[in-house]
Amino acid sequence: MKKRAITRRDFLRVAAVTPFAGAFASGFRIQEKKEAASRAKVVLIRDKNALISFKKPNPGVIRKMLDDGITTLLGETDPINAWKKLVKPSDIVGIKSNVWRPIPTTSEVEQALKARIMDAGVAEENIGIDDRGVRRNRIFKDATVLINARPARTHHWSGMGGCIKNHIMFVPSPFAYHGDSCADLATLWYKHNLKKRTKLNVLLMLNPLFHGIGPHHYSDKYVWEYKGILVSQDPVAVDAIGVRILQAKRREYFGEERPLQPPAKHIYLADTRHNLGVSDPDKIELIKLGWEEGILI
Amino acid sequence: MEDTSKDDKIALGDLLPQEINGWRAETKDEIYDPQTIFDYIDGAGEVYRSYNFKKLLARRFTKEGKPDIVADLFDMEKSNDAFGVFTHDLEGEDAGIGQGSTYNGGLLSFWKDRFFVSLYSEEETEDTRKALFALGEKVASSIKQEGKKPDVVSLLPSENLAEKSAHYFHNHLILNYHFYVSDENILLLDQQTEAALGIYGEDNEKSYLLVVHYTEGDKASQAHKSFMQSYMPDATEMGLVQTEDLKWTAAKLYQDFIIIIFNAPSRFLAIGTIEKVEKRIGQI
Repeated sequence: MKKRAITRRDFLRVAAVTPFAGAFASGFRIQEKKEAASRAKVVLIRDKNALISFKKPNPGVIRKMLDDGITTLLGETDPINAWKKLVKPSDIVGIKSNVWRPIPTTSEVEQALKARIMDAGVAEENIGIDDRGVRRNRIFKDATVLINARPARTHHWSGMGGCIKNHIMFVPSPFAYHGDSCADLATLWYKHNLKKRTKLNVLLMLNPLFHGIGPHHYSDKYVWEYKGILVSQDPVAVDAIGVRILQAKRREYFGEERPLQPPAKHIYLADTRHNLGVSDPDKIELIKLGWEEGILI
Repeated sequence: MEDTSKDDKIALGDLLPQEINGWRAETKDEIYDPQTIFDYIDGAGEVYRSYNFKKLLARRFTKEGKPDIVADLFDMEKSNDAFGVFTHDLEGEDAGIGQGSTYNGGLLSFWKDRFFVSLYSEEETEDTRKALFALGEKVASSIKQEGKKPDVVSLLPSENLAEKSAHYFHNHLILNYHFYVSDENILLLDQQTEAALGIYGEDNEKSYLLVVHYTEGDKASQAHKSFMQSYMPDATEMGLVQTEDLKWTAAKLYQDFIIIIFNAPSRFLAIGTIEKVEKRIGQI
């Protein structure tokens, strides 16, 4: 049977009873809802001293933030015990980073993650850090565990670049996922066993980009020092919280409702169409730790 | 509506200087094509592919103790597409360079002839701003010819057209970026169709006028049928419908054009706008 086109009018029908901002999510949900995960947990950790300077993370503070986040997420008091829930000494671990020049994952974050993975007993030679080379990297090919760590930012083609999108370098033709503003990005998580292998998602909100301009979709003008990190085992939930913070910042900065363009509907569809995780804020337990000023959520 | 501006002998590197206000070019330029652009531009690579771009030259300028400046020079092959890609992002102040320009947050972009030029500094300072403008002037003066804007854009009535709101494009990916219509390509747009989208009014009272020129009348007819079936099966014989937000949408096939007004505040305005565009088509 031919697939029916979803049009603007489908959203208008839903928007007649719900706010338009949620219409993309609700609209797809009406037609496409599958049996999704029931609940998810996300931890937001913020520290006023997370950055030494604009874009330069403070290594010691970052380590503590990650420790606090992961122990809270996994219900442990000791960070090494928490990491032992994610990795075992026999694992081969790939830290999927992001090298985007204006706002990369940063070596401070990568090394903090690597140190804790080693503390949990994984040999250094069995730990890799990579982004664009993952398809050629032996460790990533053999990895039994992936740790997904990248900064949050608005994205020209998908609305938001977050943890869901970060795995796109595992597929040979990333542009094959660009249709309908990356609506079906979540499908890539079902390739190479990525969904099962990814044990932790770290969405960096240290200095997120909340609005983009130009070919490189970047200007310092639209970066702010939020000094936060989101961690979750659910890539959809962590992005769903991240996008709410970006939208709140846009509202604050522009003084009006300025939806992401295009909307980051791949996050909602990752839940409602592809069953990758939870996007509904009502089903996400958000635990907030640390600095509260300007938290926006 | 054929664009004829071409001079294949122009070498992209010759249009850029080696030095500007003390910033010197790094030794090696980078060249990208539609297959390799994603190696360079993560964000908007698809935009340039949507405008049929042929080649991109990227040159990085460095100066001790100062932020780098990056020049991206796109050869779009046709001036229509150079203009079109410029209209994709019109945010910012008019920089008065080339045939249309904007400056915003350390990014200067402009179009001239078949070229789209993006110049940006990795941090914005007074020095980088001056250097960007000097570089822009220099590149613009190196491009000797001017290009013609697409005719389809001139079909948008200027009355009440919001400032910097007229976009020119080919495919439904770009249409959806500016105004979401459908997840499917229900207007049968492709890399040859020429479309103009204009935004009228402000805030919650915005109307969107779309004019699409198809290469063949048959294609326009098929696209009209497809659109009416998918988007407004409940339309009157006049091609008019009141949508769920109580606004009006009207669509009409006229010669090898489709004219659609979305979100018009009244049926009279919807019909009147369509008629205005029909008259303009008759004049070109």
